[in-house]
Amino acid sequence: MAVDIEVFGQLLPGRPRRCSVEIQGPTTARELANRIGLELSHIGLLSIDGVQSELDDPVSPNSRLCFFPYLAGG
Amino acid sequence: MKILRVNMKEAGIRWETVPPDYEQLGGRALIAKLLLSEIPPACDALGPHNKLIFTPGLLGGAIVATAGRLSVGAKSPLTGGIKEANAGGTAGDALGKLAIKAIVVEEQPKNKEFYILELDVDTAKLIPADNSLRHIGTYATADRLQERYGADATVICIGQAGEYLMTGAGISTTGERDQRSNHAARGGLGAVMGSKGLKAVVIRKAVGKAIQLHDEELFRKAAKAYAQKLITDPKLGTKGSQHLYGTASIVGAVNEMGSLPTRNFSEGKFEHAAQLRGEKLRELVLAREGKVGTRCMPGCVIACRNLYPDESGKPIVGTVQYETIALVGSNLGLGNLDDVATLNYMCNDFGLDTIETGAALGVALEAGLAKFGDIEGIVGLLKQVGEGTVLGRVLGCGAVTTGKVLGIRRVPVALGQAMPGYDPRTLKGNGVTYATSPQGADHTAGNAFGARNEVPPLGTAGQKELSLRLQIIAAMLDSTGLCLFGRPPIIANPQLMIDMINGIYGWGWTKEDYDRFNRDVLRTELEFNRRAGITKTDYRIPEYMREEPLPPHNAVFDVPDSDLDSVFDAL
Repeated sequence: MAVDIEVFGQLLPGRPRRCSVEIQGPTTARELANRIGLELSHIGLLSIDGVQSELDDPVSPNSRLCFFPYLAGG
Repeated sequence: MKILRVNMKEAGIRWETVPPDYEQLGGRALIAKLLLSEIPPACDALGPHNKLIFTPGLLGGAIVATAGRLSVGAKSPLTGGIKEANAGGTAGDALGKLAIKAIVVEEQPKNKEFYILELDVDTAKLIPADNSLRHIGTYATADRLQERYGADATVICIGQAGEYLMTGAGISTTGERDQRSNHAARGGLGAVMGSKGLKAVVIRKAVGKAIQLHDEELFRKAAKAYAQKLITDPKLGTKGSQHLYGTASIVGAVNEMGSLPTRNFSEGKFEHAAQLRGEKLRELVLAREGKVGTRCMPGCVIACRNLYPDESGKPIVGTVQYETIALVGSNLGLGNLDDVATLNYMCNDFGLDTIETGAALGVALEAGLAKFGDIEGIVGLLKQVGEGTVLGRVLGCGAVTTGKVLGIRRVPVALGQAMPGYDPRTLKGNGVTYATSPQGADHTAGNAFGARNEVPPLGTAGQKELSLRLQIIAAMLDSTGLCLFGRPPIIANPQLMIDMINGIYGWGWTKEDYDRFNRDVLRTELEFNRRAGITKTDYRIPEYMREEPLPPHNAVFDVPDSDLDSVFDAL
């Protein structure tokens, strides 16, 4: 079982845009960010299966998880 | 400070001292008060009783980072209500330095002639526009006038769309060096300028002029602290998304969350969005030796713009921004930034709002006038706006007119104005703003995108409170001349703004005065619209968006009417 992860913008340099991370069961976005080496303070926004979420929200197997830097709409 | 009254019927100019009622107002706040006081709200927006106002915000001319925007206002021929649209460039700063609180353009020429308004230090002149300036686009107009008045003169002008009174027309202003094109785009204000017979306003650079400061130390300390906060903000500084990737930095996130207008707002996720992202834009621009991180206003430390070149390195347009990418890109099924840049240039040159025009073209494609993704077909349609054909005039009048003429029900508007690049079914806070703002569907009136840890965008709870809070902040931004992106330090510490205003003017404002000032903008605008005959139902999100699920979340706009009707109860 895996989670498909994509990172955007200035979170990208030094790592692949997309990766698949194996998980054994439910986990959180925070845990997965740590596993791929993202600096938590650089994450401005994240989504789980297209739904705006928070770091401690659960991530299920086969989900899509996206990490974005700080963004401003307009 | 002074107000310049320009009477187009008499071709007359009159300077007046600022009346006490207008003294502590600027930008959007001044527009609201002046229009409510001086024009019949039910008047014909393209008739002689409407007034067109150019005004810097309260910080105009003071060289505060990001705070040199020019506000333009009038009754809107598109919404039938009050309208303020603002633009970067050098105009707001130039008017502030000339101590001009507002230019108020009144009446209409007796015949259909066009004029140029020339401004210099303490002088103003209205001169007939010669034939070489008629029926040409905004780029050629600015070039010809800068040849006459100097490359450092600011030119505010309309293109063909404004001359032909198309209600999707905006007003263009020049900026620093290669940032030729900034637009007070929304609400059809270009048509109002055309109806006044005013092709352009030229402001000669006020060399050596600076605004008088009441308390220089208070002002400088606050302005410096504000600029430093901007520089260290993770979104805005030199390592921030806005600077590196521009406003296009949000394409990926908006798409991922299912809010990116796609094929006339029929989907919220576009399969080619990766080709439209800020990262792609930066990569292309740098590879072609264009420019990123350029600024539209003097002293801006965010610098979110770009100069977008074609494959040979020749500039196409400066700048490609998010709303344009959404409305003339994904909304038209186009997954190619070169196509977006081409359409952006054409809209800028004709003097059209890219949001309104993108929405109108989306409706036209749904009607089968060309296929989604067919750039040649879309360019062919857009060309007709500049040519002034019947179809071009329909498209140039915006999404509602296009939908009516072509018999299309899926028309993404609120209060007659096209929605910007966030579908309200999946970003419901923006939906509440679209459905309640006296400005109509306008993201700059209160944008809820990215409101983290606050209100989930897909839910309905808390959206009305969020929208009201954002609308009050937007009223402050638009009245002080501050860019939308410059808001975080002021939201975190409003005292910075209060100190800057008190430092310039010595008004002794308290936090309560500042809060009342911001809220009064909305109160005045709502009263104008009420007197114009606009009812609560006129503001509503279109019926199809309440019934037609938007893929991929299959969401509808389901914020109850009772919430929409009570947004301003707490104002």
